[in-house]
This record gives sequence, structure tokens and C-alpha cells, in this order.
Amino acid sequence: MRKMCFRSATALVLCAMGLAGPGAQAQEFPVQTKTLKNGMKVLVQSDHSIPNVALYVFYRIGSRNEHPGTTGLSHFFEHMMFNGAKKYGPGELDKVMEANGGSNNAYTTKDTTVYQDWFPRSALPLIFDIEADRIQNLNFDPQKIQSERGVVASERRLRTENNNRGLLSEQLWATAYVAHTYQWPVVGWMSDIEHWTMEDLKHHFAMGYSPSNATMVVVGDVTPEEIFQLCEKYIEPIPAHAPPPPVTTVEPEQLGERRLVVHKRAELPVLLIGYHIPQTNNPDFYALNILRTVLYQGESSRMYLRLVDKDQLALFANSFSPSAFDPSLEQIIAQPKQGVDPAACEKAIYEELERAKTSAITDQELEKAKNIRLVEFYHQMRTISGRANTIGTYEVFFGDYNKLFDAAKNYAVVTKEDVQRVAKAYFEPNNRTVATLIPESAEKGKP
Amino acid sequence: MKIPTKTARILTVMILGLLVGVGAAAQSIHIPSHEKLVLKNGLTVLLLEKHGVPIVSFDAIVKTGAAADPEGQEGLASITAELLRKGTKTRSAQQFAADLDYIGGSFGSDAGADFTSVSAEFLTKDLGPGLDLFSDALLHPTFPQAEADKVLAQNIDGVRSAKDNPQQVLGEYYAGYLFGARSYGRAEGGDELSLKRIDRDAIVKFYDSNFAPGNTILAVAGQFNASEMRKKLEEVLGAWAAKKVPEAAIPAAASVKGKKLLLVDKPDATQTYFAIGNVGTKVNDPDRVGIEVVNTVFGGRFTSLLNEALRVESGLTYGASSQFDSHREPGTFGMYSFTKNETTVQAIDLALQVLQKLHKDGITPEQLASAKSYIKGQYPPSIETSAQLARRIVQNEFYGLDDSEVNQLEARIGAVTPEVARQIIQKHFPDENLVFVLIGKASAIAPALKKYAEKQDARPVSEPGFWPPPTGKK
Repeated sequence: MRKMCFRSATALVLCAMGLAGPGAQAQEFPVQTKTLKNGMKVLVQSDHSIPNVALYVFYRIGSRNEHPGTTGLSHFFEHMMFNGAKKYGPGELDKVMEANGGSNNAYTTKDTTVYQDWFPRSALPLIFDIEADRIQNLNFDPQKIQSERGVVASERRLRTENNNRGLLSEQLWATAYVAHTYQWPVVGWMSDIEHWTMEDLKHHFAMGYSPSNATMVVVGDVTPEEIFQLCEKYIEPIPAHAPPPPVTTVEPEQLGERRLVVHKRAELPVLLIGYHIPQTNNPDFYALNILRTVLYQGESSRMYLRLVDKDQLALFANSFSPSAFDPSLEQIIAQPKQGVDPAACEKAIYEELERAKTSAITDQELEKAKNIRLVEFYHQMRTISGRANTIGTYEVFFGDYNKLFDAAKNYAVVTKEDVQRVAKAYFEPNNRTVATLIPESAEKGKP
Repeated sequence: MKIPTKTARILTVMILGLLVGVGAAAQSIHIPSHEKLVLKNGLTVLLLEKHGVPIVSFDAIVKTGAAADPEGQEGLASITAELLRKGTKTRSAQQFAADLDYIGGSFGSDAGADFTSVSAEFLTKDLGPGLDLFSDALLHPTFPQAEADKVLAQNIDGVRSAKDNPQQVLGEYYAGYLFGARSYGRAEGGDELSLKRIDRDAIVKFYDSNFAPGNTILAVAGQFNASEMRKKLEEVLGAWAAKKVPEAAIPAAASVKGKKLLLVDKPDATQTYFAIGNVGTKVNDPDRVGIEVVNTVFGGRFTSLLNEALRVESGLTYGASSQFDSHREPGTFGMYSFTKNETTVQAIDLALQVLQKLHKDGITPEQLASAKSYIKGQYPPSIETSAQLARRIVQNEFYGLDDSEVNQLEARIGAVTPEVARQIIQKHFPDENLVFVLIGKASAIAPALKKYAEKQDARPVSEPGFWPPPTGKK
């Protein structure tokens, strides 16, 4: 991510996928689309409730498209997209945008790089001018590259080196994947951050930033017609070129549990367990989401009741999975309380997973999970930025934004037996990687 | 559970969301019209209809917060809030969770410095059961011993967990070092020791003394019919027995004179996290809009002076900012950033230079114009959802502010001239008197920090409590 949050005005909705729910009607939130001649697809939703606009551009390129030696390049590139092009030189993009009432940010995942602009309607043509300038004419100033390296290194220290959960998560992925490019962190290894070159950046730009590799989503105080006209003027003349080469490596099936330990000065341990699950557009997406809700969401969830409430082993127990083009990881995270052996948390988690495999969830649980999905759909739809992010995420990861509105019927048909089947299929000991952060006390090495 | 309807004398005050006559109507910032009523038992209710998404947001303020915690029992207001849902006259904690989750509802309760917040959201179709849950937690908590024990133990570990993340606890040390053991200096959530001194009796007493309709403001915003909502609220909340609650007194703190520095040692840190500043302003300071404008230029956005210097131009950090964290009485003002151990002094020096430059050169007309435009452009998404609107009106009511905070914002921003900005810098931004708080690896950075202040303090992050160090007295 490019920035810290400066103000809460623009609530950043970095949602995971699958929060859409049944009952949602496509006609409640109509979307107009157009594919430009250069291949960029544009999705527009009008909402005049506030005089503002959220404009998101999703590029299908992320750390998944990188190689050893230049890991983190997609994320670094995300930063460089703000550091000067032809018309708007270094520092000017932010200055001009803020002076016109706009703000921006961006985030990079293993699969995508997403640029976000939030601005008053009056800044509409300016934003298109800025976006076109940087997609077409990005400039690489050697001095900027050097100072931005320091910024990204500081971001890595913030989120990884000085953040126990971040640190452990990095180790988990690096262990769970031996072949596929999901194995390295989005921010990149520190030594790669220090060493990539201008040539690497130019190559990355050429590889990932064809308009045909991007999807634009505009939500807010606009009409589809005016957005399509602006696109024709500013974006359509930018020529397309080849998309990034396909990622052909397939992670081989994991044939046995992998374990790793991180020893670090800490007040409390952290436990992180990863299970390989399919990519986002797999049909099991819906049943997995229902299972995740039943197990982890809310204080009536099975894991909360077991680990936090009844046995009082952990401060929390959650699970999440990022949107992904390729088979990904379900990550279960729990923080053992002081004096609790992480192994006790681990055992309780496995017992609850086992329970979900040996007998079906209850009708009440199934219905609750579907109700929660519905509410979350509306939570995403209540802001223009939430809509832009959700519509774009469905378009990119399912290949069709309509899947957001189809989620209703896709959840409705999930049965208790489906949920039990996916629990059995993916939550197998041989398929898991277990990472534990064990606190070291002041005396080095003493547990 | 149904409560019989009482005939309540309702004082209804219609507040019209008048459009400010500046520019095109669609471009002007305004808050939707809403109404205020006071139930017979003294409960203030604000109702704001907002259609579009079928959600209803409840946001209540109980006008007693963490600043009223008894000394040595810091965290009492916060624990009381957290326990509201953990057992009521008709529901166990587990039953409450089951009923809430079944309708996909959300419920939150927490104590800030000035007040306790109790909020909830439900789909409009679930309004009946939703309001029942919300009012059950607010009116009928029973504070079961077993639940209190669990929540206290959780929170003690929660403090420990937070200390593993310097950014999460910097504010606690900073407020403590700035204010001492008084009011806003206390950790709102308590610490490892103060939480151990809280028992069920203290919690029950805190609830009984402070949770009363006359001490509470409730805002409801979202998709509903206001006249039906009025009836429902009278029915459910009108029976809440009135009682006298003394107003929580919060002593105002004076600015710190001179310079002082606290270094919190975290031996494994590869990056130093710092806050520099002094006592800030009240929420309803007459200069508040001007302060917002000047702080936007100084450290409130990406192209701010601080972020330009420490990040954009030098690459020392991922981010540098400044913030006024304002309360009923003056809260904190701080410049915040972080940088690798080796560049700690360089980054602090640079932040201080930017502050000096602000005093010396002021801000340019271009910077002023840009900040004004930025605030106006970014404001509408801050009152976009029913939850944001409920929070906005309930806090306005608490702080004695009105809709002109929103409806007159553009005009008030317009009135901030370069001369006004200059006065605000002199009056509200510290200059020579500064408090420094750093969390970092002491063995790597301590010697170089001597130059910043004559008075120097230090403590390890692993020691219980924040600042001041616990004395052990009850």
C-alpha cells in the first residue's frame, strides 16, 4: 500500500472476497460497462447521494508475476506510479489532486495492483488527465527511485519486521509454497528492495501496464455517458500491448504437514495455520465462505466459543483468505493468551475442524451464515469506495462483476452437506503448514 | 421482551438541514435534516432518516468515559462497556451473541476519554429484534462474575499483545507522558496492573452511577420511518428509569513548559516510532476550523509539509503526520512518524525544522487554498453512511455543537485568511515547549537523544503499565 491513512474521510475498504450475499438485486445497483478499443473494460455505477466519485483501476499484475531477485517489484512500482510522468512531474500528481479536493492511494496484492482516486465531481476531467498521463508516459527519475526505496523499506519494517503477525505470515507463505510464486511477500524481501534497478522497473511497466490488462471502475456522482466520453478522450488512444506472460507453475500437492517456528522478543505468541484451498473462482468458494462464517465470525462462532469463551486459550481466532487467481491459502490465526502453550490452541482448532468434518453444521448455523453474508453485501454497497472495490474485485477475480449480484443464488443453494464436504476436502493434516511465533525473554534463548 | 408503552411527553424539535447558499446545491456540504426529542425520562433522541441501503444505525453516548476512571482502576469504563452484552436479565452472553449474529447484526461498546459509546447496526427488516438487543445491553446488563473475569483477563493480555506493535501503544505512552496520571493521561483501556484491581463490584457501581437516560444521547440514522421509530423508542427506552447522574468533571491540563523526553525501550525494534508535541485543543475550540485548515497543510495529508520533508523528499519514512486529538478539554497535539534506528535523529531533526519553519514562514496562499479545497472535497464521504451520520450528530450534541458544524463548514473554511492562519500557528502549534516520546531500541538510539531535552525518562516496554510508572499503591 502506498500511504498511511491520513484521515478517515475515505474509508478504505480492503475487503476480502465473498462478502456478497443472497437477496441482493442487480437492479438495485445497476452497472453500465464498455470495453475500449485498446481492451480496457470500464464499469460505471451512478450514485448521486454525495457529490463525489471513487475511481479504481485494477491491473492484473502483482507479486505473482515476479521472480527471485526482484520480489516486491509490483509493490514498488505501485509507489513509482505516483512519482512523475510527462505532464505531471515528480510530486505534482499528489499536489494537483489534493489542491482540487481529491485524494488517492493504491494497494498491491499477490495478484493485482489497484489504484484508487477519491475526489469531488468537479475534478473529473483532471483525474482522467492524470491517469492517462501516468499509464502512458511514466517517467523514472533515478533520485526518486532511490528515495522511494527508503520509503518502501520503512513500510516493510512497519508491517513485517516490527509486526509479529506480518512477520509470521511471510514465513508461512514461504513455507507452504515451494514452487509457485505466491511464496514470496508482496512487499518483497529486504535485499531485493535494496537491489532492483531502473531496468527492472521499465521491464515491469512494459509487462504489466497495457490498458488491456486493466479494468476501471467508477462509482459516484457521474453518468455512464460522461465517463465513457472521458475514457474515449483520455484512455482509448493509449495503445495496447502484450499482457504479462502466464504464470504456468502449479504448486504441487502438499503431501505432509510442514512446521516452522520464529523466535522473537515478544509479549505473546502467535499461531498461524495455512491450508491450501482453490483459487477464488472455484465453485467451492461459496461453501468455504459459509464454513468460514460458521467457524470464525462473531461471538457465536464455533472457534470463538471454544478458544476464547469456553477454554479461554486465545485472545482471538480468525481465518481469512485473499482473492487469488491461483490456488491459495486459508490462513487461521490465533493469539494464545499468556502462559498458554500454542499447542493447546492448535489442538482446539483441529478438534473444531474435525467436528465440522464428521458432522454437518446445523440448519440454524447455515441460515445465520447466509444472513451475515446478506448484511455484509449491504455494508459494502453503502459507500461509493466500497462499491468500486467490490465490483472491481468480482470483475477481476470471477471474470464478471455480475457474480456479485449472483452471489445471492450461489449462497442460497449451498447445503450443510456442501459445507461438510469442503471441510473434509481441504482441512486435512497433510495439507497444512503450521507457523508459531515463540516469545524470547530478555535472556536470549530462554523460552 | 416488551415494555408497556408509557405516555411520554415528547419535546420535538425539528432541525432542518438547510443548504448553504454557496455554489451549486449539489456541491454544497450539508447534513440531512433530522429531529431531536427528549423522552420523559430525560433520554435525548436524535432521528435521521437516510434511505438507499436498508440499514439502521444506533449510536448512543453515555456522558461518562475513561477520564472518570478512579485512579488505580484505569480501564473501568472500558470494561463496563465491553461487558454490556455479556449477560442481561434475559440473555446469557452466549445467547446474546447467538441472537445478534443470527440477524447479521453488529454491536460495539467502548469507552473513550469523554464518553462511553454503545452502537449497533441491523438490516431494516430486523429492526424489531435489533432494537430489542441494543436496548437489552444498554438497560439490562447483569455483569455475571464469570464473564467479568474472562473479559478482564482478555484485556490484560490485550495490552500485552498491543505492546508487541509499537505503533499501537505510542499514543498511550504519549498521552501519559503529556498529561501524567490525570484525566486524559490515563490509558483508556487500562493496563496490566490497573485491570487487576477492577472487580465486579466496581463495574456494577460504575454502571449504576452513570448509565441513566438523562446522561445518555441516542442517535438513530438510516432507512426507517421516523414516526414509527419514535413510537418504538418510547416503548422500549421510555421505561428506562430516570436517575440523577452528576456530570463527570474533567480537569483541564495546561501545556507542558520546557522540554522532556521519554524513551520506551523495545530491544528488538528495527525502527523508532516517535511522537512530538504538547497539549492541544478542545473539540469546540472557537478556532477549530482554522486549526483543521492549518493542520491539513502542516501534517494532515499526503502533500503536507511534514510528509513532504520526511517521506517524499528524503525517503526516511513511510509516513509522517500531525494530529490534534481533541476532547471536551484540550487533548493532545502530536507530530508522528517512524524511521529506521540509524536515521532516528535525522528524522526528528527534520520534523523539528518543519515545525520551526511553520512558525517562521507560515503557510503560503497556495497551500492555504489547496488545503481548503482538499477539506471540502474529502468531506462528503465522511458523512456518507448512516453510521457516520449517527456518530456525527450524536457527538455534535454531546459537545454542544450543532448542524452548522457541517452546513457552515464551507463558509467557515472560506473565512480562514492568511492572517487567521498566522494567528492559529502562534496560538495552537507548539514552538519551544515540546514533549518527546519514542519507542525504539534504546541501546542503539539513546545516547543521541540527549540533545533534545534536559529532562529524560526511560522505561522498558515489557514493564507493566505505560506512563507514569505504576507506584504499586491501590
